Amino acid sequence: MRLNLIAAALAASALLTGIAAHADQLADIKKKGELVVGVLGTDEPATFIDPKTRQIVGYEVDLVNAIAKKIGVKPVLKQIAVAARIPELQQGHVDLVAAGLTHNKEREAQIDFSLTTFVTGQKAIVKKDSGITDVPQLAGKKVLTIRGGTQEPNIRKAVPTAEVVTFDTSQQAFQALQQGKGVGYVDDEAALLRSYAKLGPQKAQYVVLKQNLSTEALAIGIKKGESGLKGVVDDTLRELEKSGEAQKIFVKWYGPATASGFQTRDFKLESDKID
Amino acid sequence: MPLFDYSLLLTGKYHDMLVAGLLLSLQLLAASLVLALPIAMVVALLRLSPLAPLRWLGFAYVETIRNIPLLAHMLFWYFGAPELLPEGIKQWLYAGHIEAYSAIIALSLYTAAFMAEDIRSGIRAIPTVQFEAGRALGFGFLGTMRRVVLPQALRVTVPPLISQTLSLWKNTSIATVIGVAELMYQAGQVESATFRSFESFAFASAAYLTVSLAITGLATWYHHRFPVRTI
Repeated sequence: MRLNLIAAALAASALLTGIAAHADQLADIKKKGELVVGVLGTDEPATFIDPKTRQIVGYEVDLVNAIAKKIGVKPVLKQIAVAARIPELQQGHVDLVAAGLTHNKEREAQIDFSLTTFVTGQKAIVKKDSGITDVPQLAGKKVLTIRGGTQEPNIRKAVPTAEVVTFDTSQQAFQALQQGKGVGYVDDEAALLRSYAKLGPQKAQYVVLKQNLSTEALAIGIKKGESGLKGVVDDTLRELEKSGEAQKIFVKWYGPATASGFQTRDFKLESDKID
Repeated sequence: MPLFDYSLLLTGKYHDMLVAGLLLSLQLLAASLVLALPIAMVVALLRLSPLAPLRWLGFAYVETIRNIPLLAHMLFWYFGAPELLPEGIKQWLYAGHIEAYSAIIALSLYTAAFMAEDIRSGIRAIPTVQFEAGRALGFGFLGTMRRVVLPQALRVTVPPLISQTLSLWKNTSIATVIGVAELMYQAGQVESATFRSFESFAFASAAYLTVSLAITGLATWYHHRFPVRTI
């Protein structure tokens, strides 16, 4: 009897979520007059808190603002944790997720992705005296990185025999590298170059390996099946690309004058397909 | 919410990752338990020693360890303590499984502090006349402990020790913070790769629950098989 009740409750909740999925999210957003977007807020320069204004700013924020403007509503940014990105989206607490989200095949079963908004290579940094000059030489060695992202699976793909150790924050992983608890440290190129820059005079003891371990396509996360919302997000991104605005936003946050110091932009906002 | 996908848990590489995590967690439990028990016994005896400096030593150990969170112990034994070693030993250690070693040291020392208190209580539960009788028969402090008091005390102590084992089992999950690929760690990895949070943590929860229940079952069985002798 008890079991039957539970089964009935489960069936009812499945039915309710089914109904909720049929409602059009874009119409809801217009009705409430705001677009709620989940961001990390700790991921400079994608989304971070400006120390002067205490506002969340960054590359992804500029894209989100353009989307909200296109829909004709107010953007509302909500800070979320890395692990909470997808649950928050699926439970409808946020309309979009712009939080350094990697678009991969496994995740496609859970949510939809916008056009690719950023392409980053993941790279490795090693101590110079380790004698390592090339990614394959990391085979059989201990490699350190941050947990919860795509870094670990990507190292395993690039160097299957590497022994990977991961930490809660990139600072911890980087400290482990400095203490010599591993020969290499892997992260997204932009983040890696930032950690490298912080080394100061010690930089001479380290080398950033040139070869990419992987190429990551980052995108904005959209709840599965919300084709109306996905349409307007993708249209906005395409328009930004066409008008040259996308290029300007990139240079503003990642260009040669910034700490990231990217000389060129090697991607365009044009496709939502990944390899 | 998407439906629960059992296939993730039963086969494939994510299944293998979760099982590898479970096995490592069990290894951490076994190694830490084997180290913690003798340390706990020594500390308990220190705290009951007739010599005041030894009693203070035992007291200092229990209070410093017990009043600092396990998380801080983990980070200390991984990031802090090994840095103090001579260069040669350090490099040798870092090339090996320093993460697991640090976790085992942190878990054993931490658990030992609690177990020492349980053992001390067990010893104190034995009427002092037993101890005095031992001494009267000509045994020394350690001799009296070994031949008269401890055999009775350990019987009283086993249920609380099993309860500490239960805590130890759950505490192995904290080794995640220093990169030990135990069960919680692997559940987190599977989650970040697939976003199947519900399934991966359901596996972890079920595994913790199963082993915990087995430990509890052991306690109940022991209690029936070897009841405390009324004195």
